[in-house]
Amino acid sequence: MEFALDPTTRERLRQIRELGRTHMRPLGLEADRLGRPTPADDPFFKLLVQLGHGRTRWSGEPADPPAAARAHGGGGARSVVTLAEEMAYWDRGVAVSFPGPGLGEPPLLGMGTPAQRRRFLEPFQNPDRPRWAAFAMTEPGAGSDVAGIRTSARREGDFYILNGAKSFAANASRADWIVVFATVDPSLGREGHRAFVVERGTPGLGDFQIEHKMGLKAYESTSFTLKDCRVPVANLLGGEEHYARRAGFKGAMQSFNATRPTIAAMAVGMGRAALDESLSFAREHGLLRESRARDRLERIRRRLRAARLLCWRAAWLADLRRPNMLEASMAKAVAPAVALEAATFGMDLLGEVGGRGDHLVEKLFRDVKAMDIVEGTGQIQRIVMARQLVNLPRDGVS
Amino acid sequence: MIQETARAFARDHLRPRDREFESARSVAAHVQQLYRDVGLAGLELPEALGGAGLGALARTLVNEELAAADPGAALALDPFGPALYPLLAFGGPDALRAHALPVLARPGGRAVLAFDLLPRLQTAGGRARGILPWVPADRVDLLVVLERERAYLVEEGLLPTALRGAALRAAGASELRVEGAAHPADWVSTPRARWALAHARLYVASLLVGVMRAAAEFSRAYAMERVAFGRPIAHHQALAFLIADMASAVEGARLLVQEAAWRLDRAGDLAGEPEIDDEAEVCATAFLEAAEAALFVTPNGVQILGGHGFMQDYPVEKWMREARALSLLLGGMDAAREDAGRALLLEREPLALEPAARATEGAV
Repeated sequence: MEFALDPTTRERLRQIRELGRTHMRPLGLEADRLGRPTPADDPFFKLLVQLGHGRTRWSGEPADPPAAARAHGGGGARSVVTLAEEMAYWDRGVAVSFPGPGLGEPPLLGMGTPAQRRRFLEPFQNPDRPRWAAFAMTEPGAGSDVAGIRTSARREGDFYILNGAKSFAANASRADWIVVFATVDPSLGREGHRAFVVERGTPGLGDFQIEHKMGLKAYESTSFTLKDCRVPVANLLGGEEHYARRAGFKGAMQSFNATRPTIAAMAVGMGRAALDESLSFAREHGLLRESRARDRLERIRRRLRAARLLCWRAAWLADLRRPNMLEASMAKAVAPAVALEAATFGMDLLGEVGGRGDHLVEKLFRDVKAMDIVEGTGQIQRIVMARQLVNLPRDGVS
Repeated sequence: MIQETARAFARDHLRPRDREFESARSVAAHVQQLYRDVGLAGLELPEALGGAGLGALARTLVNEELAAADPGAALALDPFGPALYPLLAFGGPDALRAHALPVLARPGGRAVLAFDLLPRLQTAGGRARGILPWVPADRVDLLVVLERERAYLVEEGLLPTALRGAALRAAGASELRVEGAAHPADWVSTPRARWALAHARLYVASLLVGVMRAAAEFSRAYAMERVAFGRPIAHHQALAFLIADMASAVEGARLLVQEAAWRLDRAGDLAGEPEIDDEAEVCATAFLEAAEAALFVTPNGVQILGGHGFMQDYPVEKWMREARALSLLLGGMDAAREDAGRALLLEREPLALEPAARATEGAV
């Protein structure tokens, strides 16, 4: 595998580092202290748009979306995971609050028709103001087991009628539109799933409630309901044909995945922040004279370095369009636990200072726990790995 | 390419005869000849001296493949082994010509590297004296002693007494009594000693990666065949998760070792005093991770096979012993932990994403 970073990524790293130091870290600490997400009208978001953030990867061409994304994005997955690590190093909560199509974009690129991509992503090509989009799969009763979603979609003429409740959707209350997954028949599992673009202001979309979290407070995790929400058939992602075509390919999953290594890389970034903070605390207080402290910090640096390389390897395979399901899950299974260890031990070094509740390491200790839960828990990752390694049967787990 | 060659050689000629080599305490002569014939000998020896002149990355790839079949044989087949590095670092081609080539020319000749931290050997009046409790060799033609700040050679007065050996018996096992002239006196340089130690650590670390890969792979395959409570034992979640974690441990250690080798190859220039503080830390870290991971993976390889794992009919018990023995070399895990930990004292950003200036702008 290629270990060296390309010059473009290195340059973008420098930009993020500057932005992180001047804005992201302070904003993350502020949001944590105030216990609320950074408001959508914060000047920081306007600045980001001016700096060229908050844009879609969609190139405007209705061509093969991954090719378009590659051409537009430049560095590919390896670059994405590297930059994600650096963003999360400064503040992962603030990174998720960045304007842009966010997690709503991949379904648009992967399933959307050319007309849908134009309609929903064009406003993100050169945005006039900070704009967000969102993604809603998780429900109060269905997390890792996505086949278990209960939000229903029923066709009525030129509309689908959606009913249900969604949980923990990032940036949902400030989003121009939300990709909502619903089912036309719960007994079909994933076969029955349909994805809709639900636009802000659609009647029946409401009850937005920003959840109170243990950490990562800088972005909103929002629950909402759909009550007889009438969504035009034109907003069904991919159109009816997409689902008819897909029906023959039951269980055919994409053979490569770039999202899990990205989340894992964010965990590495947070762990690295905990390591750097712990190290400077230890240095100030003369704790490094003790081999007990050095040994544990050494272990954290070593495990984080291994986790980072696992992320890079999974991303490198994705860039080559080679199967990486095992490697992507490996990175995701390993990195969050290592990062939590980094913050947990950082608290040990801090001692009672860690108990005050106002130190960055203490914030990271809370923030990083989420990384072992989102995008498939550590347990789910091991199931995915075991399917690859030993053909673990599905036993109803999809 | 060289990796493919090593993989095929190890699969066809080492793995089927590992128990034979273990009881014979050596690798059959025709297998040794084959090893030379396919071009695996002298990998890092300079081309001018008839070697391939390759670097650390090539070495780690080859060692992993050989050790995935038989790490003892891997040591036996490379008669100079990591003893090469102090000679390269301190003496260069002249020292290799004077001290390495004669050993390599002798049938069955072996050089042994001792990283002497304590030290166990005393040098006075130009002579070295002392006892090394275990070296993985039955015969020692040349002892290369590496300390923190210097290196020296002993070519006579090397008196091995054969031991049973905990593992790696294909390479032999002896207690080595040393009573001979130590020379040269002027191989003194902390950076060069560090360079040699870094290379030696990767040499052993890549053997550890190979042996744990073998254990993970073998036990994974076994777990898919063996049935208990009506299904393959691999399909019980307790074992499925363990097998997943073992795979992660192997992959993480392998990547650390390969990245460290890549860094070492970029940094390595022995023209001046080699400045490899960062690389030395990365190599110590890779050694330690490989050792810890191997000591997690290989005993679990035995565990997955249950009672069969404990029996010598299967290779997993051998791999467990070999992982344990390999990780005792070069001062063992604690010396590596100490080196990696002490490096933290100097580091402001121990995991910086942007490589150091030399790595980005230097001669690549």
